[in-house]
Amino acid sequence: MSGSHRPTLLSNCTLATTAAEARFRVEYPNSRTRSSRIFALDQRAAEAMYAITEDPWQGAHFLTVLANDDIEPEATEASQLPLAHPDGTPADLAVEIEGADVVVLISSSGRNAGAAEVVAREAYHRSIMTAGLALSDLNAGEKAEAAVNAMRPFASVLVVARDEEFIPAMLNALRA
Amino acid sequence: MLRKEVNELLTQTDPGTPMGALFRQYWIPALLASELPEDDCAPVRVKLLGERLIAFRDSDGRYGLMDEFCAHRGVSLWFGRNEESGLRCPYHGWKYDVNGQCTEVPSEPDASGFCEKIKLRAYPLIKIGDVLWTHMGGKENRPPEPVWEFATVAPEQTFTSKRWQECNWLQAMEGGIDSSHVSFLHSGGLNTDPLFRGAKGNQYNLADKKPVFEVTETEGGLFIGARRNAEEGRHYWRITPWIMPSFTMVPPRGDHPQHGHFWVPIDDENCWAWSYDYHPTRALTGAERQAMRDGHGIHNEYVPGTFRPLQNKDNDYMMDREAQKRGDTFSGIKGIAMQDASLQESMGPICDRTKENLVSTDNGIIMARHRLRKAVTALRDKGTLPPGRNPEHQKVRSVAAVLEADKNYVEACRDALTAAPGKQRTSV
Repeated sequence: MSGSHRPTLLSNCTLATTAAEARFRVEYPNSRTRSSRIFALDQRAAEAMYAITEDPWQGAHFLTVLANDDIEPEATEASQLPLAHPDGTPADLAVEIEGADVVVLISSSGRNAGAAEVVAREAYHRSIMTAGLALSDLNAGEKAEAAVNAMRPFASVLVVARDEEFIPAMLNALRA
Repeated sequence: MLRKEVNELLTQTDPGTPMGALFRQYWIPALLASELPEDDCAPVRVKLLGERLIAFRDSDGRYGLMDEFCAHRGVSLWFGRNEESGLRCPYHGWKYDVNGQCTEVPSEPDASGFCEKIKLRAYPLIKIGDVLWTHMGGKENRPPEPVWEFATVAPEQTFTSKRWQECNWLQAMEGGIDSSHVSFLHSGGLNTDPLFRGAKGNQYNLADKKPVFEVTETEGGLFIGARRNAEEGRHYWRITPWIMPSFTMVPPRGDHPQHGHFWVPIDDENCWAWSYDYHPTRALTGAERQAMRDGHGIHNEYVPGTFRPLQNKDNDYMMDREAQKRGDTFSGIKGIAMQDASLQESMGPICDRTKENLVSTDNGIIMARHRLRKAVTALRDKGTLPPGRNPEHQKVRSVAAVLEADKNYVEACRDALTAAPGKQRTSV
């Protein structure tokens, strides 16, 4: 301990962390609504996502990639990526991603890696954090591995989850 | 963010609570073996999962852990006489064996059999390694004895300490799987702490403060991989296992011993932070063991005669603002353990998670909460026994490794992540 250390009064330290003192914490919303964009990259991911889209989210947009594995990322502009809203209406990636705080890619199979790269690229250019969620299970085997590999190059965070219930758990935790 | 009711579900561990029921499915650390050093030694008060207990070692070397209070008039048996294979209440001489069975009620006729009708609730207490472990659940679901590597290597290869942490167990445990804080809060110690310094991996840590995280579910819990840039396009991986409900192991550095924690609830506003350090293939050196006793690494100094850290909230953890300004420490608090404890206790006795704003790099924490919540509700609603009880789940190691960029860290390190006696470990 350095010679400049000056003990603080007990009332400033010990009491500060009691349950009684916790009552005096300032009550206010300490964050504004986040803008989250969730992309399902394949059929199972889309079905898992559709199961929760009606939940009371705070502005999250759920989108399905309609592309096939032939997408060439280098040759695909954002607005050219085939995307759909949960009701089936088409969506424009360039519009959807503008102003987003976080992008979540969900995959169960590794399909549409090219589309994932387009989404991740657009997010990167806008300094938007990209998280990847690979749905796996005990029998997923190569599919799970493919899902992980497809998203690894683009995701700043990658989660391999064994059950689809993690999707709402994660989105709730992130205030999506 | 967690809703209030979920936060309560995961943080409350008293008898009758769902999370309390979950903890009661495991062998958990109860005492250091050194707290009961010899037969007929002084009994020790123990509070675990909101239950006041007394631990003792009888004349025959048997360990007991039972209700702290005499069934007669409610006197604390901490005042008891530990003699002739039992703990005797000093008030009226009632005596109990290590199973909590009353064996003598001096005021009653010997032949009455009255004492057979008196039994204190008792839990098994077994010694494995430096630790006395207990299982506070029903005998019908008692798991196999624990096989954690730190507790099963030779005594000269391991060191265990514990400290009282004045906050709920969950916020303490979440610090153990929050890999992203290391580059900030603990950055000062990597080049100075005798139990960390000199490892090549430290340079990767310090050079790349934006690691990429991969969280992978396993049978028993999680692997949390933190990836940083290394030479020639390769990646430096630090892989932290988390095994349910509250075991973690920090990835090793060089040839230093590797370490980790158990977090065990005392009550809802206090927990034990158990800290172990071991090397799987060699004895700890005298210098290493002394450094651990001196509070280096993940250990700490104590208020003499207690398990309360010397740096505690009564003295503002001996905050040193000058050291903080100089950069000796990032937070001004000395030592890894107290850097963590000071901040975790500052959250309040039970962190209000309705106010937090998690980000994507917190996915290890998010997944651990998800696993705990699933296991708690499955146990409560269906009686499903939780993961982490199986000895195979406990045979894990942390890993530090440099891998080619295209490698899946779990697949590439699968063997290294599995503990086996005498097996060389993977460290950088």
